[in-house]
Amino acid sequence: MTDHSIELTVNGVARSGAAEPRTTLADFLREELTLTGTHLGCEHGVCGACTVLVDGEPVRSCLMLAVQARGTEVTTVEGLADGATLHPLQQAFMESFAFQCGFCTPGFVMSTLALLRDEPDADEARIREELSGNLCRCTGYQSIVEGVLLAAQRAREEGAVL
Amino acid sequence: MSQAVGARSVGARVLRSEDPRILTGRGRYIDDFTFPGMLHAAFLRSTVPHGRLLSIDVSEARALPGVVAVYTGEDMARLSTICTPGGTIGMNAMPGIKCPSFYSLCTDKVRYVGDPIAMVIAESRAIAEDAFELIVEDIEMLDPVVTYADALAADAPLLFEEYDDNVAMTGEMTIGDIDAVFAKADRVINATVNVHRHQPVPMETRGSIASWDAAEEKLTFYTATQSPHMIRLLMAPQLGIGMESIRTISEDVGGGFGLKNGLFREDVALAVASRDLGRPVKWIEDRIEHLATGGQAREEMAEMEIAVDADGVLLGVRMNARLNSGAYPWDPFPGAMMVGTLSALFQGPTKLEAIAATSTAVFSNKATYVSYRGPWATADFLRERVLDIVARELGLDPLDVRRRNYVHLGEEPLAMLTGQPFTGVTTQESIEQAARIVGWDDFKEIQRAAREEGRYLGLGMASYLEAAPGPKNHATGQSAAGMLGNETSHVSVEPDGSITIITQQHPHGQSHQTTLAQVASDELGVPFDRITVKYGDTDITPFALVSTGGSRAATMANGSVLHASRTLREKILAIASELLEADPRDLEITDSTVNVVGTPSISVSLAEIARVVAEEPDRIPEGVDRELTASHEYDGGEGGWSGGTHCCFVEIDVETGMVEIPRYVVVEDCGLPVNPAIVEGQVRGGVAQAIGAVLLESSAYSDEGQFLASTFMDYLLPTTTTVPNFEIHHLESVLTDPDVNFRGVGEGGMIVAPAAIVSAIENALEPFGVKVREQHLPPARILELIGAIPTE
Repeated sequence: MTDHSIELTVNGVARSGAAEPRTTLADFLREELTLTGTHLGCEHGVCGACTVLVDGEPVRSCLMLAVQARGTEVTTVEGLADGATLHPLQQAFMESFAFQCGFCTPGFVMSTLALLRDEPDADEARIREELSGNLCRCTGYQSIVEGVLLAAQRAREEGAVL
Repeated sequence: MSQAVGARSVGARVLRSEDPRILTGRGRYIDDFTFPGMLHAAFLRSTVPHGRLLSIDVSEARALPGVVAVYTGEDMARLSTICTPGGTIGMNAMPGIKCPSFYSLCTDKVRYVGDPIAMVIAESRAIAEDAFELIVEDIEMLDPVVTYADALAADAPLLFEEYDDNVAMTGEMTIGDIDAVFAKADRVINATVNVHRHQPVPMETRGSIASWDAAEEKLTFYTATQSPHMIRLLMAPQLGIGMESIRTISEDVGGGFGLKNGLFREDVALAVASRDLGRPVKWIEDRIEHLATGGQAREEMAEMEIAVDADGVLLGVRMNARLNSGAYPWDPFPGAMMVGTLSALFQGPTKLEAIAATSTAVFSNKATYVSYRGPWATADFLRERVLDIVARELGLDPLDVRRRNYVHLGEEPLAMLTGQPFTGVTTQESIEQAARIVGWDDFKEIQRAAREEGRYLGLGMASYLEAAPGPKNHATGQSAAGMLGNETSHVSVEPDGSITIITQQHPHGQSHQTTLAQVASDELGVPFDRITVKYGDTDITPFALVSTGGSRAATMANGSVLHASRTLREKILAIASELLEADPRDLEITDSTVNVVGTPSISVSLAEIARVVAEEPDRIPEGVDRELTASHEYDGGEGGWSGGTHCCFVEIDVETGMVEIPRYVVVEDCGLPVNPAIVEGQVRGGVAQAIGAVLLESSAYSDEGQFLASTFMDYLLPTTTTVPNFEIHHLESVLTDPDVNFRGVGEGGMIVAPAAIVSAIENALEPFGVKVREQHLPPARILELIGAIPTE
């Protein structure tokens, strides 16, 4: 199959690479751009592990083709921390013991980022509703929800930028 | 990342060392590894449940540009030695077991949907899958064997034609005077209880990279496993090399839950291909492959006769136990062997006087039976169901029945029928605490009032004991470590005065990089964040058949690190006493510095000690051990039980059959938690899996043997909207060991919660007269049970 050249912005940096028409955005990010923080848990759009932001919106990168992402701005889990300083959401997750094995984590981080940006006052029921599209097999979710609530509270009280 | 940890690290909610890595996308899971020249494998799998593989033509596939090789079963027979599952560790010699041999790819027959027929190796995974269309196989269909009845029918088609039947394991067991207890029983109750097939489903599927070094004649095998050394041990005979010629490397693993604790046929095929081609070969399982072929569990049942006295005290049980082990025995733990646990572990914390059992495991045209978090959990499910059944049949309160049946600390019987001592068992304490917390006695009135409004509420309770690791048996001399053996750790001082722990554990979510460092921190007087835990490279880690499994780490790994740290501390103090010209008994280590107690100015840092050892060894007299490293092989000490009681509340919508869990209470006893936050995470995760098992998950096959649950739209996992918040209470019980009283907690939630949830559901459906004798209760089944829809 013919490769197509893809130019896009990833985590604020202009990137380019080649992809077959059938290459998913997830495979392009992982293999062509070696950004392996985005994980593939099902490749059929259910588990949410591969969630990234495309032009600010959460997207299952296993269901989007790389060619569809041309010219977009993509944010992945690698784009959040500032050197050794965790992003406030990552910090809140850590303090809540949110995750265990870490495989679903990138998807939860990106989904939550979009949720709290759009709905900074989301309550627990709303958080649970919105995150029901991400699967975690380790934690039973309570610690993840606590992490989201902690991050949201800090954003409100301390002005932490999410 | 630095954090202030109080005077004692153990017992504190120390933040996880793993998190900065996994939260920023810097974890290294198997699919994140890549190597120059690496090829990609894909497996062509059978869509037929049972058939004779008459021919397979791969010539066109081999010619597809980008395809490097295509292997079939015939190639595997030529390039590898046949697998004898369980053979390496003698499991195939268990009395009554059958362990047929097979290659990594099918040679003569296909035995389940997903059975690997051919392996394509190509420059990319996509090309490898493209080649599937060019492979032509001719399979003669045979009648499928799906159910116990199919397997045991007199004229059943044979899965393995070298045997006369489909029986994978048979066994008989009698402990105690079974006839006498039935003779004195006031009542004998019959019950048949079923557990359905479901599966672990880690979020990261299976996957490996085989990399053969032709010059060295050595294999480096990168994989997602719970037990790196096991891979070497089991793979070596199939490759015809010694295990010293195999190095396993495994870093972050995206969950295992028991499934990643064996050697898979795909792993062997990859190694064969890499050796044949001289290039690294990667295979990452996709989710459809995983659900269909990665390994499934449970599917067990028992017909029981239960002898009780008039007060509901269990006297004895006669059991006919069955297990459906699927097509190919797992290596090294053939699933069939688990059928014996249904009876052997049935007793739990009860005063049961006798048990007699016949056990039968069958082969079938289903995926391989693998271990899943609490692999013997069906035994606990049966016992707790039986206690509820007895309560109902005799018109007793299930809590009272448990009060009468569970042992009391320090009272007879002091040991189980199997001889294991009831050391430190706190089941009675846990049911009383749980009953208080949930308001057990008040619930009946709440339930009655709700029923008047047409709402169906239920409350269920279940308790368990888990040998994690189990107590030392002083009568027999059996160590706490048990059959999986002792645990070794290495602890060293690095040149900068930091500490490195090398563990044989292989954490994949259990946070051992955090908890083992907590233990060493307290013992060595070194800050938590100056301690690194290394694992996962068999060139440096101590050998272990099972690295992480069986809820062993809490006692075995922490105990090993604790004792190794103490030995290292003595060595450090001996050297420091020479450098400081002080008696070692007058020295202490705080904040990585040795000083004279009460005189902090007379001190030497661990970094300085390490420098002197390296650069000025002559300052340390002969006879003083200068090696700043220590190891300890730990036998589990006095060991002990984990256990506890769970209480589940449900509300059932009898229109839709939906079950909601508004409240869930756990009273658990795992001794002293090293890190309560991590313990709670383990408990919640286990209960969440149990909620999935009861309300959602089923590895369903059609009557024709087709697999019906190969996507996440068919195999439903619990989500944020199905799993409630949990109330967890720690019952820190009897200390059994002078030094190590941490006990395992990884499996408990999944062991006991199914019984608590099912108990609650049965309680809620009481007005319908429903008897629940199974574990899988999705909405459609609830509606069947209450008679709202006809039973399929």
